[in-house]
Amino acid sequence: MSRVLLFLLLAGVLPAQTYDLLLQGGHVIDPANQIDRVMDVAISGNKIARVAEHIPSQDARKTVDVSGLYVTPGLIDLHAHVFGYEGSLFPDDTSLVAGTTTVVDAGGSGWRTFDEFRRTIITKSQTRVLVLINIVGWGMKGPRYENDTNDMDSTATANKIKQNRDVIVGIKTAHFGGTGWTAIDRAVAAGRMADVPIMVDDHIFTNSGRTTREKLLDHLRPGDMHTHMYNDRQVELIDRFTGKVQSYMWEARRRGVLFDMGHGAGSFLWPVATKAMAQGFAPDTISTDLHGESIMMQQPDMPNCITKMMSLGMRLQDAILRSTVNPAKNIHRFPELGTLSSGAVADVAVLTLRTGVFALKDAWAKKRMATEKLENVMTVRNGKIVYDVNGLGFPLWTSAGDYGRIP
Amino acid sequence: MKRAAGLVFLALLCAANYAPSQQTPVVFDLLLKNGHVIDPANHRDGRFDIAIVGNKILRVAPDLPASHARTVVDAGQYYITPGLIDIHTHFDAQGADLNLKPDPEALTNGVTTAVDAGSSGWKNFEAFKTRVIDHSKTRLLAFLNIVGAGMYGPKVENDVNEMDPEAAARMVAKYPNIIVGIKTAHFEPPTWDAVDRAVKAAELSHTIVMVDFYPKPGREYSDLILKHLRPGDIHTHFYGQLIPQLDANKKVQPYMWEARKRGVLFDVGHGSGSFWFRIAAPMLRQGFLPDTISTDIHKESIMLPRANMTTTMSKFLNLGMTLEQVIERSTVNPARVIHHPELGTLSEGAVADIAVLELQHGHFGFVDSGRAKMIGDRKLRCVLTVRNGAVVWDTEGLSLTDWTKAGPYSNFK
Repeated sequence: MSRVLLFLLLAGVLPAQTYDLLLQGGHVIDPANQIDRVMDVAISGNKIARVAEHIPSQDARKTVDVSGLYVTPGLIDLHAHVFGYEGSLFPDDTSLVAGTTTVVDAGGSGWRTFDEFRRTIITKSQTRVLVLINIVGWGMKGPRYENDTNDMDSTATANKIKQNRDVIVGIKTAHFGGTGWTAIDRAVAAGRMADVPIMVDDHIFTNSGRTTREKLLDHLRPGDMHTHMYNDRQVELIDRFTGKVQSYMWEARRRGVLFDMGHGAGSFLWPVATKAMAQGFAPDTISTDLHGESIMMQQPDMPNCITKMMSLGMRLQDAILRSTVNPAKNIHRFPELGTLSSGAVADVAVLTLRTGVFALKDAWAKKRMATEKLENVMTVRNGKIVYDVNGLGFPLWTSAGDYGRIP
Repeated sequence: MKRAAGLVFLALLCAANYAPSQQTPVVFDLLLKNGHVIDPANHRDGRFDIAIVGNKILRVAPDLPASHARTVVDAGQYYITPGLIDIHTHFDAQGADLNLKPDPEALTNGVTTAVDAGSSGWKNFEAFKTRVIDHSKTRLLAFLNIVGAGMYGPKVENDVNEMDPEAAARMVAKYPNIIVGIKTAHFEPPTWDAVDRAVKAAELSHTIVMVDFYPKPGREYSDLILKHLRPGDIHTHFYGQLIPQLDANKKVQPYMWEARKRGVLFDVGHGSGSFWFRIAAPMLRQGFLPDTISTDIHKESIMLPRANMTTTMSKFLNLGMTLEQVIERSTVNPARVIHHPELGTLSEGAVADIAVLELQHGHFGFVDSGRAKMIGDRKLRCVLTVRNGAVVWDTEGLSLTDWTKAGPYSNFK
């Protein structure tokens, strides 16, 4: 019976609504497919079915008019905190609301705590949660643990990665307050064993025995990421006397070392970012380091971070590239993620670019006024509308009769 | 010698304590200038300045001198109200898988006091307190679930043996400044056990109950609000689609009015299932307003129906309530309902919990629990929140310096 029905459908005998959801009339920015114009996006089940001009609404069960809005792949936040860290947030209300459909937890868990992370958060979130596992076995449990080089076990970390390749995409080293290269080198060693990149959050302080140059040119491998690039304690990006981007930064970039924004509460400074952007040193990936403290002051969700980069001259299209394709590539999940290609998982952000006067705040709670601000208005995750602040996808109550839960 | 030293000390003390106050005025730590103050408890509705010293409101008056303030916020474009009070929330309580952290959802919405509505019971309230309440900037109060283990799933929540009024009352007595009453919710068997035991616990602890209830044969809604609840008790979710608040012609049932006359209180508790435009609109048209506006915020309700405080308030604004009515039901009313009249006001001497709200004008959509949409032309948005005297949320940077005028900071300039 069902086979007969299927045949009739395929043969076009029955009038079929081919698509479940159609986002009509939006300005699609899909850098992976070089799309940057008004297009319709059709979704079937949990997959992108087709991106084309003028897809008729009678082909879809639900059509949403998104004209005047931007439609992009669901944003990918390469540096989030949703487990383990004292300031970690829960996903969904802090991610999907902002158009972020994939978060990468940056080191909250280590090989000892990862299983709990998977059980309590990853499996219970609508957001896709991927993981950079901490080289510290106990994860981001505080300085006493994070400074303990004895708990930085490359083999145990690599084994945990090999057993959980569906969600663990790399290794994090962070907050190491000791001297020397142990934390970074053990992370790199684990990265070699498991064939994954590492992300480094590393304060350089007097007598740390580390320099930015050595770190970027001798210790990190091509494809490894340094986060927090726009603060002034982790990478000496700008020569403080000449105001120029250091030559080793360009050299590291040529080598293939990647630079991540990791905004957070302490790692985005107008004096640094302004100088870097004026000289063309942009982040490879835009990411938030959103946590309990930063979310209250700097509010660096993905649209906020993109807005800040736009205020420094980055084009929206370029910022979307660095918030979708680039992070997906850096964690070796491209083209599986970060595109609106047919067949890709239907993770979509619908964004509005507002004009007005807006305050953007940096790590020192200093503001910069901007005249444009990007905001997320609707999020599709795995084919379903999960956030829709203005109800674009839903009917007026006055014409819905004695309605129950509307699909 | 000793005596002389004592005299000198006394003189210094006098100089330090008295002389300056006669010559120079008090320095305000924070001055909110020229906002439109709506403070129903004090019948204020107009332009006032608000001066804050330490964690208290020192003065509310026109034209307070900006030169006397460390930080001045120009609130000329905004409304200033007491910090909002949301009496139906669910913030990450032990045993409840509801997954929201309080500060990023409450303070960003101007909510300075949130009351957890029964996520925990007497068995796990203390774990909730240690893990969440003690670490939140938001003032977190609680209704204690009559179920010992709180909202731990249907099996536990339907078990009458889990409902021990004495044990619950003892826990209330242990934390009288945090626990404001007893909650009963999600009870499926067609009996009055849950409601009556909750009321019993409230009687024993001299508090109130908040009831999440739906009728069943043998358990009529009119009996709940006319017989089982006492004056001062709260029915939350009263706009729910399982509640017979309207007759077939969408007329408010007479027992609703009668219960209100008795003093039973009606709370919104928006949530993912309990706010419907098709029910709220006719009730509001007939003048049946909620006593308190609250969200039932949790990981589901926060997404599509967007059940946070400012959005919920905006829905009522666009359904025809005045701004003053909406503020009253989000500040002074909930404060009085939970017997905390010291909250929800901008009285001089009160703790400085303040919301600065923008009334946006434009074209906005709002979604209800049925996912139907209402179009409205106004929307409230919280731009700044003061909690315990400190600015804890300042999305437009009203209290902050422009980076180009900040002088050298960090290692660069």
